[in-house]
Amino acid sequence: MDQLNSSGPRSEEDFAWLEVDRRRCNRCGTCIDMCPMDVLHFGAQGYPYMRYRDDCWYCDVCVFVCPKQAITMTELPYLIR
Amino acid sequence: MYYVKETDLVVIGAGAAGAMAAIYAHRTDPKLKVTVLDKSKMETSGAAGRGMDALNTMAIPPRSQPEDVVEVLTKVTEGVLDQRVAYAFGQRCPQVVKDLEEIMGRAPGDLFPVDEEGNYILYYLHPINKPLLLPMDGEEMKRALAFAVRQTGAEVFDRTPVLRIISRDGRVAGVLAFNIRSGDYYYFKTKAVCLTTGAAGRMGLASSGYLAGTYEFPGCTGDGYAMAYEAGAELVNMECFQANTLLKDHQGPSCGYVAAPRGAYTVNPWGEKTWTHGYSSGDSKMGVWKRFTEGRGPLYLKMDHLPEEMIQVIEKIQWGNERTSRGLFHRGRGQDYRQGHSVELGFAEEIGVCGGHSSSGVLSDLHGATNLGGLYVAGDVDGGLPHSYLGGALAMGGVIGEEAARYAAGGRYAAQPQGLRAWLRKEADAFEAPLRRERGLPTALVEYKARTRIQYYLKPPKNRAFMETAVWWMERIRNEDLPHIQARDFHDLLKVREIASILTVGEMMARASLFRDESRWGYQHWRADIPYKKPQWERAWVVVKRGEAGMELSRRKAPKHQWDFPTAMEYAYPKLEFDVGTPFVKGPHWRNPESDPWMKEHLDQQGMATPRRFLPQED
Repeated sequence: MDQLNSSGPRSEEDFAWLEVDRRRCNRCGTCIDMCPMDVLHFGAQGYPYMRYRDDCWYCDVCVFVCPKQAITMTELPYLIR
Repeated sequence: MYYVKETDLVVIGAGAAGAMAAIYAHRTDPKLKVTVLDKSKMETSGAAGRGMDALNTMAIPPRSQPEDVVEVLTKVTEGVLDQRVAYAFGQRCPQVVKDLEEIMGRAPGDLFPVDEEGNYILYYLHPINKPLLLPMDGEEMKRALAFAVRQTGAEVFDRTPVLRIISRDGRVAGVLAFNIRSGDYYYFKTKAVCLTTGAAGRMGLASSGYLAGTYEFPGCTGDGYAMAYEAGAELVNMECFQANTLLKDHQGPSCGYVAAPRGAYTVNPWGEKTWTHGYSSGDSKMGVWKRFTEGRGPLYLKMDHLPEEMIQVIEKIQWGNERTSRGLFHRGRGQDYRQGHSVELGFAEEIGVCGGHSSSGVLSDLHGATNLGGLYVAGDVDGGLPHSYLGGALAMGGVIGEEAARYAAGGRYAAQPQGLRAWLRKEADAFEAPLRRERGLPTALVEYKARTRIQYYLKPPKNRAFMETAVWWMERIRNEDLPHIQARDFHDLLKVREIASILTVGEMMARASLFRDESRWGYQHWRADIPYKKPQWERAWVVVKRGEAGMELSRRKAPKHQWDFPTAMEYAYPKLEFDVGTPFVKGPHWRNPESDPWMKEHLDQQGMATPRRFLPQED
């Protein structure tokens, strides 16, 4: 119910279902540009993270468009999976 | 920052319909200045952001004709439609195929299947004996459309949702929008608007409880319905609800239009089929509802009888198109298409409205024109073409691009709000009030409340009391909660606008359901208190329009039919008189007194106060 009581941005440390491999990611921002729900934003070190995690439609766009195959959707949102 | 811009034509919502509108506006008049606004990102936004696997209702000669589209739409709408619009759509279907092949750079036989003679292959799905479903290998469709739009030179604003359509003297005058990443406000003075904002698909909340766990694209929050209503447009069929059979919890399509034409069907644990055909019309939904209500659920998609090759084909389509996370979802739950009773389906977990899947939206004619001068609609927000799906969105999107371009080329600007810049600041200031609150209701909490109420009260079977309570809830949340909502940033601020849209659409759904005092379209508008059709509602719409005192509803006859096709589906409303077994009848109980002097004495002594006993004492 955390999802309901604190709308708005999340921190990079919060639980997420997208995994960004920092050895592969070149911080190009394609995933951030293409995410249809504005979920992904740059974190402090320039890597993408799920700033608006609970708007994720698990559409897979970020995984698909990444030119470096750096993103994995490890699972679906907890309430869905 | 505040920007005031002039343009000829604004496209609101760059999904499939909006993209086609922009492309066709440019083709019609290349000199026209076209502005495209999308709350998301044009390349990936909307219901078809990850493509689509079929065009569901298409007339592609020689296998199917425009008249066949008229026949099926007449049947599934039970006669409540303008057949001329259906026919116009049917005539344009081959053009849609040609456009997509050209825009996506795909040869005939690659994007859509063709037979040895070069004719397109269509599948049977609908409740008539004509093949109307055209399979498509269209994952990249949306990105290709977006590329084509950008090539036209149209000015595209991503992440820029529209807050209001301004109308003056029965014409569109302008569009107010803001950017969720920059917080900039834009006012576009325009001659014409193509409204293509998709369904009201974030309405009833599914039992998973996940707010973005929607069947429709979760950005499709019914903003177009609400904005059109507020600007003075007429909406129809708001009582014809969308209620789908979906992958339980995932809320992705249950594969009915992929797997069903390839031999799959829906069964309950006893192996009984739910209905005779796989098309998602009110009769088949009634069949599914009955299975659940008889306690003979859950339902499963049965594929284990299919050859391995066909199962692999279904997996290829399901996992690589439209909702591509289906593969990961199935693996996570141990679901396998090769096993019976494995892929579980849920039903009617998200009550909503959609011109594509049902018939609800802004009333339009065969040109996509509405009662507001310069306002054209297409796609899921369009109520003029029922059950339009993606094919209808692409076809009518092109139509309104042409029509709006002609209108804009010959037209002048309508009167504008006085003191435009000051007005813009005032609008922005009011919109941003939730950002300035130091404390308030979180947007997610208010959305959760609104959508759980919608799901509980609006889900058919309907009756007067449920619908009136739904209206009460929509008004209550709008009046009591919205003024106290808090937004954390611009992204969050958009939610406030979306919740307002959800409440407006929810109210329209409830009021239209009350006004249509009959049942029609099987499960979609089943009034348990009036479980039959009435003659006065044959071929008649409920029209919802904004009036001085709130929502105004009226009955309007659709144009006389030109084709004499059947106007009924095959189903019956069930009698809801269940045998609930034998209640407790042994007795008699000792009879309780009809007065309570003991508690009355306490009431007289204490009033309504609760005595404060056994509590910490103050020093």
